[in-house]
Amino acid sequence: MKTKLTRRVVLQGILAGSTAFATMRVLPTMAQQAGGTLNVGLTYELDTMNTYSTGFLADAQHTVIEGLIAPDKDARYVPVLAKEVPTLENGGIVLSEDGSKMTITYHLNENVKWHDGAPFTSADVKFTWEAVKNPDFIAESKDGTQDIDSIDTPDDYTVICNYNTVKPNFASTLFTFGIMPKHLLEGEDLNTSWYNEKPIGTGPFMVSEFVRGQYVVCDKFPEYWRKSADGDQLPYLDRLVFRIVTDSNTLVTQLQSGELDMAVSVPYGRASQLEGAQGVEIIVGPQLSWGHLDFNFRNELLADIAVRKAVAHAINRETLIRVQGGFPIPIKSLVLPLFDLYDDTTPEYAYDPAAANAMLDEAGFARGGDGIREKDGKRLSFAFVVQSGRADDENVQQVIIAQLKEIGIEATADNKTGVAYREARYSGGYDLIYGRWITSADPVYSTFYGSEGENNGQGYSNPELDAVFERLENTLDADERKAAASEMQHIIAEDLPAIALFQGVSVIAKPVELKNFVPNPTNMTNFVDTKEWYLEG
Amino acid sequence: MSLAYIVRRLLGAIPLLLGISVILFAIIQLAPGGPLDIYAENPSVSKEALAQIAARYGLDQPVPVQYFLWLKAVLVGDWGYSIRTGRPVLDEIVYRLGPTLQLGGLAMIISLLIAVPVGMISAARRGSKLDGTVTVLSFAGISTPVFWLALLLQLLFSVQLGWLPSAGYQSIGDGSFIDRLRHIIMPASVLSLATVASWSRFIRSGMIDVLNQDYIRTAYAKGRGEKAVLFFHALRNAMIPAVTVIAVDFVTIISGAVITETVFAWPGIGRLFMESMDGRDYPMLMGLMMMGSLAIVVANIVADICYAALDPRIRYD
Repeated sequence: MKTKLTRRVVLQGILAGSTAFATMRVLPTMAQQAGGTLNVGLTYELDTMNTYSTGFLADAQHTVIEGLIAPDKDARYVPVLAKEVPTLENGGIVLSEDGSKMTITYHLNENVKWHDGAPFTSADVKFTWEAVKNPDFIAESKDGTQDIDSIDTPDDYTVICNYNTVKPNFASTLFTFGIMPKHLLEGEDLNTSWYNEKPIGTGPFMVSEFVRGQYVVCDKFPEYWRKSADGDQLPYLDRLVFRIVTDSNTLVTQLQSGELDMAVSVPYGRASQLEGAQGVEIIVGPQLSWGHLDFNFRNELLADIAVRKAVAHAINRETLIRVQGGFPIPIKSLVLPLFDLYDDTTPEYAYDPAAANAMLDEAGFARGGDGIREKDGKRLSFAFVVQSGRADDENVQQVIIAQLKEIGIEATADNKTGVAYREARYSGGYDLIYGRWITSADPVYSTFYGSEGENNGQGYSNPELDAVFERLENTLDADERKAAASEMQHIIAEDLPAIALFQGVSVIAKPVELKNFVPNPTNMTNFVDTKEWYLEG
Repeated sequence: MSLAYIVRRLLGAIPLLLGISVILFAIIQLAPGGPLDIYAENPSVSKEALAQIAARYGLDQPVPVQYFLWLKAVLVGDWGYSIRTGRPVLDEIVYRLGPTLQLGGLAMIISLLIAVPVGMISAARRGSKLDGTVTVLSFAGISTPVFWLALLLQLLFSVQLGWLPSAGYQSIGDGSFIDRLRHIIMPASVLSLATVASWSRFIRSGMIDVLNQDYIRTAYAKGRGEKAVLFFHALRNAMIPAVTVIAVDFVTIISGAVITETVFAWPGIGRLFMESMDGRDYPMLMGLMMMGSLAIVVANIVADICYAALDPRIRYD
């Protein structure tokens, strides 16, 4: 199943999630032990091991392929193959004189080897850009390739990217996903290449076997370029096995029976079944995702701000959270509180059905015989879409339907799956839609609520908001970004194209013995940094 | 029954399959969305790049042209590449067919071994307590949801007792006969449950019908024992209606048991079909559906041959 989205913004509904765990990492007093196998459940039908063309979050792929930089547990970028994350301060980013373009320089680590033993160099980085940009390559994630005009490689360990624009979010695209080996792939057709089965990367693990519909076996790369702080050769684990188990009941059963050690996206409703399962530890943490109820502005009744505000007051987040096992965290802004850009003064719509009813009365919507309001013969009756088969989402939908009924609004479930769902989502085949977005460490909000936003299926357009997005998304100045982001949050809360309901979490089941596991809240998945994981005992 | 007959039937199936392919191609195109939806709204994929991708798969052509291009390639054995995985359609299907045939085949054998004697005994002892019990169990079997039974078996045999792996096709690095057997027992049992139940009902009613015939009374009058009468005189005749049902069920099995495969993480055709459907993987879907259609045609021919084998009065020429 694929999404029509760029990788920056992934439809969480269909994808394996990842989480953050907002606790300090406790350094173990014992020495880390090398060895052991970790069996991980993948809850989707893995299509390809190529990180650029997979339609899913690249869980398994990230253990094999590394990028120049990567987001850490706090969604901040840290260097991987690059020696440092380029910034204005360290001279890695240089703006052109008129401020319309930028140049980004990466200095690469020098002792990095591909799994076949060949050295990793700047030529590989340039090749990756060219390969992904190539129109013949059918890739899910081509973000950022068009923003670069040219790449210079003055020596083997320096990469200079000449951008044709200023992109504050450059880090969440392209080179972060992973680098491909030029010496093996030059001239290959990446659509049908062997690379999609057994990619060669620089990561701590290498693919030994990928059996479609069954599993991927990733074995330790003994010549991995990084060592621990104590000088141990990394990674510690001998083997990571990703088993494809798409049925959530079976996933839980296998965790209970010990056939699986770990799963990173246990459905909320199933988490309680794992309590007391021997050797299994449940970790819950926030995720860069948020649940939202969107309005379709092509429906004239929903284009009425009074109706939207009434809906906002009719929703009781507490109940919605309760039906999801109590896991999600209520929010009032689409910018999640863990981001610097979050503005706590964003106005909030409290649960107040009386106020909602009063608003609708005032707007002239009177209750008909069946309790549903209408005005001028138009009933407040809406088609409500969620992705079918997602138990958590369907539960939320049922509660919202009941809550709307309280204020005389009728919502009828019109659920869809796969491409039909996406079609509805992007072409506005709904009146109300509930869904969840999961984003990278630096979300681009105009894709959701900008007039031209590629994820804006609502027909929503607000020129004032577009101007704010323009300022927010084309500057590297932190203060200016913060000011624009505040303005954005206030406008969205006032104009209410959508109601931000709660921040998602993901429920991770892991073995008690697995140490150094640090959940990652971003779309780069929990497997972006597996090198220091080890099994104790 | 002659070889010429079979050849003629197979040749006769060609226009049928052609007709089916036209209808399938049209239906797939009618479903909302398409395989390139993923890229259509991606700002990094320019209009030109999108056009190039479409041209690569021939998706820029009018639908009838696309159909003839597909047909032309298929006639020389080229089923194209999966848009989702980039692998040849035929490779993917062949790879998934093995596990599906193993699972389906074993389920059919289990079903036959249980359904035939059960159906016969119920018919011979019609109205007895045994018959009543079998009838109740059959309806319970037909009505039991597959995923529920699967879950109960998994909890009992994998979690509680730890005897069997709860899911999967084989252990990594093993794949020996015993290992495969341990993996297939539960899904095959679950898959055969509903078939056992329905087949035994068909065999029972067929037997009851046959047991009322004059030639059965004649056989008894000649002094043949009950077992001999049931096996040699009644069963063959009673199997004729059952063969039709079994042939239809065989096609279902080839097409993959989506729920059983999903619950037991079995890498079969059913799961492949679901993935391809969700991604609107046109070449893959055409390959899978044509294979299903071919299976129906073949199963029908085999059923006809079985009729003749069971009943010498039926002749084809």
